[in-house]
This record gives sequence, structure tokens and C-alpha cells, in this order.
Amino acid sequence: MLIIGVDTGGTFTDFIWKDGDQWGEYKLLSTPANPAEAVLEGIEHIAANRDYSLVHGSTVATNAILEKRGALTALITNRKFEDVIEIARQNRGRLYDFFYRKNQPLVPRELRFGLPGRVNQVGEIIEELTEADIETLLDPLATAEVESIAVSFLFSFNNPEHELMVRKVLARLGIPLSLSHETLSEFREYERTSTTVINAYVSPKMRRYITFLSDRIGEHPFRIMQSNGGSISAETAMRESVRTILSGPAGGAVGAFELGRMAGFPRLITFDMGGTSTDVALIDGKLPLTMESSIAEYPVKVPMIDIHTVGAGGGSIASIDAGGSLKVGPESAGADPGPICYGKGEKITVTDANLFLGRLIPDHFLGGHMDLDLSLLQQHFATLAEKLKLSPTELAEGVLDVANTTMDRAIKVISVERGFDPREFTLFSFGGAGGLHAAYLARDLNMPQVFIPRNPGILSAAGMLMSDVIKDYSQTVMLNDEEIAEETLEQQFQPLEMRGREDLREEGVAAERIELELYLDMRYQGQSYEIMVPYGADFREQFHRLHEKTYGYCNREKAIEVVNVRVRALGRPEKPEFPRLPYVGERLPAAALLDERPVFFDGNSEKTRIIQRDQLQHGNLIDGPAILVEYSATVVVPPFATGRVDQFGNIILTIEH
Amino acid sequence: MSVNPVLMQVFKNRFAAIAEEMGVTLNRTAFSPNIKERRDFSCAIFDRCGDMIAQAAHIPVHLGSMPLSVKAAIGSGSMREGDMVMLNNPFQGGTHLPDITLVAPVYTGSDDTEPSFYVANRAHHSDVGGMTSGSMPLSTSIYQEGVIISPLKIVENGEIDRKLMDFLLTNVRTPHEREGDFAAQIMANLTGAQRSRDLVDKYGLATVNRYADSLNDYSERITRQAIAAIPDGSYEFEDFLDGDGIKQKNIRLAVRLEIDGDEALLDFTDCDRQVSGSVNAVYAITLSAVLYVFRALVSEDIPTNAGCLRPLQVITRKGTIVDAEFPAAVAGGNVETSQRIVDVVLGALARACPEKVPAAGQGTMNNTTIGGIDERTGRPFTYYETLAGGVGGTARNQGESAVHSHMTNTLNTPIEALEYSYPFQVTEYSIRKNSGGKGRFSGGDGLVREIRLLSDAEVTVLSERRSHPPYGLFGGNPGKPGRNLIYRDSQERQMPGKFSERLHKGDCIRIETPGGGGYGVTPDTDEHS
Repeated sequence: MLIIGVDTGGTFTDFIWKDGDQWGEYKLLSTPANPAEAVLEGIEHIAANRDYSLVHGSTVATNAILEKRGALTALITNRKFEDVIEIARQNRGRLYDFFYRKNQPLVPRELRFGLPGRVNQVGEIIEELTEADIETLLDPLATAEVESIAVSFLFSFNNPEHELMVRKVLARLGIPLSLSHETLSEFREYERTSTTVINAYVSPKMRRYITFLSDRIGEHPFRIMQSNGGSISAETAMRESVRTILSGPAGGAVGAFELGRMAGFPRLITFDMGGTSTDVALIDGKLPLTMESSIAEYPVKVPMIDIHTVGAGGGSIASIDAGGSLKVGPESAGADPGPICYGKGEKITVTDANLFLGRLIPDHFLGGHMDLDLSLLQQHFATLAEKLKLSPTELAEGVLDVANTTMDRAIKVISVERGFDPREFTLFSFGGAGGLHAAYLARDLNMPQVFIPRNPGILSAAGMLMSDVIKDYSQTVMLNDEEIAEETLEQQFQPLEMRGREDLREEGVAAERIELELYLDMRYQGQSYEIMVPYGADFREQFHRLHEKTYGYCNREKAIEVVNVRVRALGRPEKPEFPRLPYVGERLPAAALLDERPVFFDGNSEKTRIIQRDQLQHGNLIDGPAILVEYSATVVVPPFATGRVDQFGNIILTIEH
Repeated sequence: MSVNPVLMQVFKNRFAAIAEEMGVTLNRTAFSPNIKERRDFSCAIFDRCGDMIAQAAHIPVHLGSMPLSVKAAIGSGSMREGDMVMLNNPFQGGTHLPDITLVAPVYTGSDDTEPSFYVANRAHHSDVGGMTSGSMPLSTSIYQEGVIISPLKIVENGEIDRKLMDFLLTNVRTPHEREGDFAAQIMANLTGAQRSRDLVDKYGLATVNRYADSLNDYSERITRQAIAAIPDGSYEFEDFLDGDGIKQKNIRLAVRLEIDGDEALLDFTDCDRQVSGSVNAVYAITLSAVLYVFRALVSEDIPTNAGCLRPLQVITRKGTIVDAEFPAAVAGGNVETSQRIVDVVLGALARACPEKVPAAGQGTMNNTTIGGIDERTGRPFTYYETLAGGVGGTARNQGESAVHSHMTNTLNTPIEALEYSYPFQVTEYSIRKNSGGKGRFSGGDGLVREIRLLSDAEVTVLSERRSHPPYGLFGGNPGKPGRNLIYRDSQERQMPGKFSERLHKGDCIRIETPGGGGYGVTPDTDEHS
């Protein structure tokens, strides 16, 4: 059966498909006004009236928030707590800014409604809520013409009665409701409310988008990628849209994970460098999850692949700051005006520096379809270099060094700051610009190898194709040390396990392919951060060990707490295998060698081979310096690196330290 | 030796990353909600002389005072590899007793006799003993405020001095929590030391030192540019603290600001004498407040370091409210008076460069401490929290509502976390509507936090701007002053700005925080008060 993975990006919509042993890929310009158009066009091109199933990563939810174009949303909460969502955590995002303003809440004050009723920390109702109380909201909600409603009461995860009452009474309005105990059954009211509001805010948009697509796709199975690295049915995605935010980057991480595993690299640090930002993630034999994500400053506490983003990319602008030092970013030339070499820009960018040093090859950039004008660069580099008392070449290498420091720091955030040593990992580089920087980053971080997958430009779509069906469940239980007994925990897990199995069966997963992973969020009594520990007979010991790994110490004498129980329900499809290439040998085929040109490395101009990547064969060895070009990506093999082509067509660079 | 503009940026990032990673470690490993949830701590790296190279952007009130702590630690005797010095004595490098600083030397060569760097972190501990739980009392002497730690070696050759530690822990109400927090502080310094050594391994000590120095010059240069943009002249401003909670009222703070080219002189000699109550600020706090204001005037992203201070001269008179002498009570100077120092400096600057500074923010941190025995568990508890308020309007925009301003930036404790941990029921948490001063750009609103006690407890509130409201600028109205209220058997009682009171189970404490001042005349509205 034909399976299609499709990832909608800002510029391109990427397709990858598999039919039996056949693989293929396809790229189309995106259609931002209605992203579904490009998706449908691609499907028609690939499927041509055959049966197929579709996995789709969509940016509809993300964009609704970033552009503040979600549904008109109301919030119903406890009376006298309507402002929790506006107060947030009471801190300011920038310390030294007299003009600081917060990102305003997605629900304005006039659409936040308070009701009586209060539940306490053990789930007792200490103040009643009546249906009559709720009915008072019918008129104002109808008058305001709200399109979606979020409901979040204090401690609803311990007793959802009041939230359920609201659903019952407001049902007659026919407006979709998001209840906080269903969206995120965990304590910390601001984060839970924020997550619920986001769900309410994006769900109607997502519903329209999915309905539009479904109407045209018809009977073909259709799944949506989530930010947790798994996919869900389109039907579920309409209700739980908050789980699809950041699904594109999640696809990339899944792709890296699966490709790495196939090729024998289970421990990876992924590095996806784009035009304006760079995403990094650490994969230690499994996909990394975080419960502490946010989008546009709004916390989203559902599990997501732990991806760290920094605002530096190919378009980052180089300038001299007020203190006379060379600065790169955070300003970006974006797509318009873009780098100087694209023809319109006036400011030197990272891309310009790569071109200036000879590391980007104009004839082969996007297959030569995009003109890169080297001649425009000379004057700009000369001028800026003179101001900095550097040579133009030093300036160009300096721009890359400074940009690399930002990337380097991003990688440290996800590795050393979490107790991992980057030297034990392989740098998995994808995205158009990653290969230009990866070897240098690996050298800075003492990482031994760099992995560049085949088709680095469509890795996200590939990840979607290979993703599991995943549903996450959690429940705050707040058990102290004396209360933690096996049967108590089993009791808490049971309803989540049941829901997991049921939901996955509804998703069409056969019972024997369902796997349940159980976790406990644990901490020492008195701490406020939890560690997610796989649940098993030795969970206490596991906790101490993980605590030591993450935080550098543990204390087996100390009382512990179980804050949340978590269940991950997975439906594992059969993993598609990529075709293996026959071993040919170390010598490059003659057709691969395109040219020889001077390229600057560490201040010296070195004669460098330009190699057509598509022509490389399994076993080929590439001594640096060399530049590998392909349609959507360039890989620099500096003099201190050696490349090797593996049986899947991936390139592994070994870095000399 | 020449300085390369590329490496300069590289080192700027690297040093900042060290301070930030220390913060991440401290935040993650600490035990008390005060540090972990509210992030009331700071981390920094210092050169061999104890001059600050970089500080992570945590809590501004620690800015100018951390270096004085490090210098006090250095002055207390030699620190060998594996040693750490602890201190909180406000008259020897500290600010107020709950802020405990831990300093560690960093040796980079095996036969070095002197450290190449120091790393230090400071955390606000939610109890250090003294007359009331939470150690933010209405005291009249430092001795009532808790255990005083003059610089002492708490870690020697990698081992915690058990006797000293036990002695300290005996003097605090929540020893278990303190010990966990100390462990986290130690971890943070170990992290900082390791990263500093990594940096030296990569670049060599000479280069690292050269760039540490250059970064100080760099920050100095940019700070000077910011000052040079302010018109030369002498500008004065005065404002008042409501009182010390004991006997003095209307305590005057005044500054004369002289801008001369790219240097600024701030003369505080005309401030009132130090007072009996706990709002006295030591010099380190005054320095921090001034440094904060000038750091915020710089729009570039510069390392906050010793260089920022060089163009600034801060003159005080010993024995005043802004340069208190031993044995003054100082618990509130760090949190309350620091805010008023900022207010007067900004007031003076408003006369020099009106477009660059805001009207007064809430000007207080509304310190609230509740302690007692939790009836449900029989265990003692101490809760400490500061509350946000309104920010002043500016020439460009309204002030933000319900957010911390100026010298602090701590997070709130989630209501659900609070009710799990303490015998409280939060009965209101909202924005205090219309409390911001009206103006062309109005001040932001304060907030309301109301808590019902589910056990008997001692409540201490240390707050300001209850009688002197946050000022407006250029015709903008002042923000509404804050209010502290107690409810018992549906009887409302308005409390003073500073009080300590034993409350009963069922009583409610309600804090309404001040709004920010407005900026400029409101178009088409009648002007009054």
C-alpha cells in the first residue's frame, strides 16, 4: 500500500512516499493562503487515483498562534481567578527593559468569565457550583459570538465535576469546549489553563483545515503528526489540536532517530539549521520528551519532543555592535531582502560569508536555479572588514565562528546542562545549511562524527512516514513517600491504560501492536521539578540514578514523591526500511567530481574538490577539503574531516581532534 | 596585545554561558520553592581580582552586591582548590541575611598558587532563623534577623565542614530544606568552576584573561556611550519611604545626579539617617540599584560586569538609610529601599532624559511571610513570597500590569502548588483593576492576592507604597497605593504597610499591590489628584 508523508513548510511542501520497496520524494512550493492546496496537488501527483494513506505535519495550529489568528475564545474559570492567565508567573521576560510589555493573553479580559465553585487539593468540593450559575453565562457567551470555549477550574484534575457540569449546561450553545482536566490533567493552574486555552484557540482552525482536506481525500486513511513525535487520526487532531503544535520539527527528530537507528547511530544530537532559526535536540536511544515547552511565551505542557530553538541561521546579519565587536544576529535578513548574494540584501549574512569563502557553490545552489552573485559581496566585506581591522577573509570566517558559538551554546543547553557529554554523541545534521557548519561545530564540541542523511532537505516528511501512533496520558496524583505502594500506583495507572488501549483501537491499531509505556514523574519531597522515571519494580532506584545523572547528586535517604503518573500508548507500524546500496569501493566515481576550486579554510586558500553527492556510492571515501553539493543542501568537508558513504547513502564525517 | 573582534563576541557568549549554566544547575537542584519556583538567586563569574566578568540575568538587586561579597570572601583568607566560602553578613559583603552567597576559587593550573577566577552564587533562603519565620521580620537590630555568617570556609578541600554546617542548620527553622539548597549552591559553583577550566583548556589562560579584561572595557565603553547621550547637568529628585514599621515615618531619600560627558555622579549624602526598623540598605544595595538603572539605559546586550560600574560614582554618607552601619536592621533594605533608590534615580533622570525612563512602578516587593505548624501534618512550615504590581507608564507605552519591576523578577508560586504544600486556601488572585495612574500612557495595575489560613500562623508583611503612592510623570497621575487587609469573622481590618501578627485558622490575609504611575497628561479627561 502507498504511504505518503507530507510536511508543510514556509517555503516548500515536502513529500516522501513509499510503495512496497519503492521510495520517492517530491517537493512543491507551499500555498500559504490555503496550505491544503499544495498538499492535494502533491497527493494527486504521487497517488494518481491509487489507494494511499497519508501522514501530515501541519503548521496550521502553530501559525494560528504566532499570527494571533485563532478562534475568538472565551475562558471560564473560578470566580476571582479570571486573571491567572494574564498574571502568568508575574515575571518579566526582559530584565533590563523599562518599556517591557508581555505578550497579551489569547483571551482578553472581557471574555474571561468567573463562576462560583471550588475544589481543594484532595478533590473535595468546598464550594458548590450550580447549573443556574452556569446558565448566567449563556447570554454573554452568545452575545460575544465566541467560537470556542476553554474551561479551567482549580484542582479539576482531582475532581472534574464542575468542568463537566459546564460542558453539560453549555452544550446547547453548540460551541466547542476544551476542558482543562481533559487537555492536561496536571497541577499548576497557569500552565494547565494556558495549554487548555491554546487548544480552544487553535482547534476550530484545525477543524476547518482538516475537514477541507478530508472532504477531498475521502476514504483514504489520514493521520496528523503531533509534537510528541507520534501521529494521531485527523479526527482526534481536531479535538486535541494543541498536540500538533511544532509537529514539523518533531518530524525531523523522528526522522533523525529512525535513520540513525537504521544506520547504527542510536545516540544523536540533531542540528537543523534553517534561514532564520536553528533547532537542536538530543536523542539518547529514544526520542527526548519535555513537558516544559512554550510557544510565543505561552506555556504548552503536553509532552513534546524536546527541541531547543535559537534565532540564528543562514540569514542572520553580521554587524558591529556599539562596543566594537562583531555581532551575528539575532536580526535576520529572512527571505526578503535576504542575503546580499540573493541580489536585494544590503547586509552581510551567514550565507554571504559561506559564499565569500567559496563554501557555497553558486552553480549548484538549489540546482543552479537561484542566482548567487559573488561579485556583490567584495565591496561589502571590504568595508565591514576595514572597520573591524580584519581582512575580508578573516571577517567571513569570523562571521561563521560567531554564528557557530550561538549554535554551540544551543547544543550545550540540551546536552551538558542536562547531564550529557556531547563527545558520546554523533552530530546529525540536516536542513539546507546544516552541512556548511556541522563539521566545525563537531570540532568545537569534541564530537567524533557527523551524520548527514540522504536527502537532508526532506527529513521531516520522512519522519512522519516512520512515526508511531502515539497518545499521551497523565494524571497528577501527588503521593508522598508513605503513600507510594505498588497497588496504589497500579490503581492510578489503570484508567489511563484502559483509555490508551481503547483510543488506540479507535485509531485503528490492532490490539497486538499496542504497547503501553508507564512513567512516574518523581521528585524529592519539597522539590518543585519532577523527573520522568520509567515505571518498573526498581522505580525508586531508577529515580535516584536519573536524579544523579541529571542533577549531579542523589540522596537515597530522602523522602520521595510521585507527582504524576503517565501512560504513553504506542501503536507501532512496521518500520519501512530504506533500500541498501551495494558496496562499490572507496574510489569516487569520475562522474561525482565536478570541479576543483580554491576555498578558504582557517585563513588559507586550499584547492578543494567539488563533488556531486547524488553520484556517490556506498563505500566512497572523501578526504577533506571537499564540498558536496546536492539539490537542497551543501556539505563542507574541511581539511580536518574525512567522509564516508554508508549503505543507505548517508555520509558520515569523522572529525580529527 | 590586540583584541580580535570575533573572539570578543565568542568570549562574551562563553562567559555568559558559564553564569547561565550555573543558574540552571542551581535552579534544578535546589530544594526550596523559593529558589526553584521563584528563581530568587544569581550566579556570576569573577576574575582573579574579584571583578565581575559576567552575571546571568537573574535578580538585579544582586548586581552590584555580588562583587562585594566575592571581595569579602577573598579578603577573609586564602581559598585553596576545593574550598568554598559562605557569607551573608550585610556589613561584610552581604545585603540581608536570607541572601547567602557561596564563593569558590577556580584553579586552572596544577601548581598555581592563586586562583585564576572565582565563581559565586547567591540564593535567597526562605529561613535563616531570627525573630519570625521566613527571616524577613520587623526587626530593630541585625541580631533579630537570623544567623549572621561572616565569610567562613564551609567547604574545605572538597569536604563540607560538618560541624559548621550542623551549627548553621541548628539555627534555622527548616534545616532540611536549607541543607538541600546549600547542596545546590555547591553544585552550581562546581559547574561554574568546571566550565571555566574547560575554557582555559581550550584557549589558554592568557587569552581568557585578556578577553575577560576586554569585556570589561567593552561594557564600560557602551555604558559611557549611554551616559554621553544624556544632557550634561545636575538633576535632583526626592521620594519617601512610608516608614520603618517601628516608629519613623516618611523617610526621605534624595539624589543629586550629575551628568558630565560620559560619566555620572550620584550623590545620596542628603538621605535621611538610618532608622530603627529594618528598611536600612547597606551600600552594596545602593550600588546595585544605580547599576540596574544604568544597565537598563543601555539598549545593547552587554555583559553585566565591573566595566559597567567604572563611569559611575556613587557617593553616600555612612549611617544613612542608603549606607547603613552595624548593627542596623536591614532585612527590608534589600527588597524595599532598593526599589525606592531606583525610583529617585529614575526621577532625577526623568528631568534629564524624559523619553528614556518610566514613571514610578509599584516600588515595593510586598514581602509576605507566613509560618507556623501545619495542623494537617504536625510539621512546621514557612512560606515566603513577593508579589508583583504595576509598572510605570513611559513616553511610548502603558506600564505592564501585575509584573515585577526593577530590582526583582521572581516568579509566583502556583496556587495549586501552594495549597499542596501549605495549610492555605487562596481565595483570590486577580489584577487590581484601575489601580494604575491615568495618563497619556497609564501605569499598569497592581494585583490582589488573598489567602485563607487553614492553621494558626504568624503573618509578617513588609511592604511599601501604602501611603506614598508611586509617582506619575509629566502630568500623569500617581498609581494607587497598596493595601494590606485582614479578615476575621467577616470583620475587615486595614493593616499598616509593615506588620507582624498571629492569625487564627479561618482568618484571611489580603494584599492589594500598588499600581504604576501614569506618564503624561491624559487627553480629554479631567485632571485631578
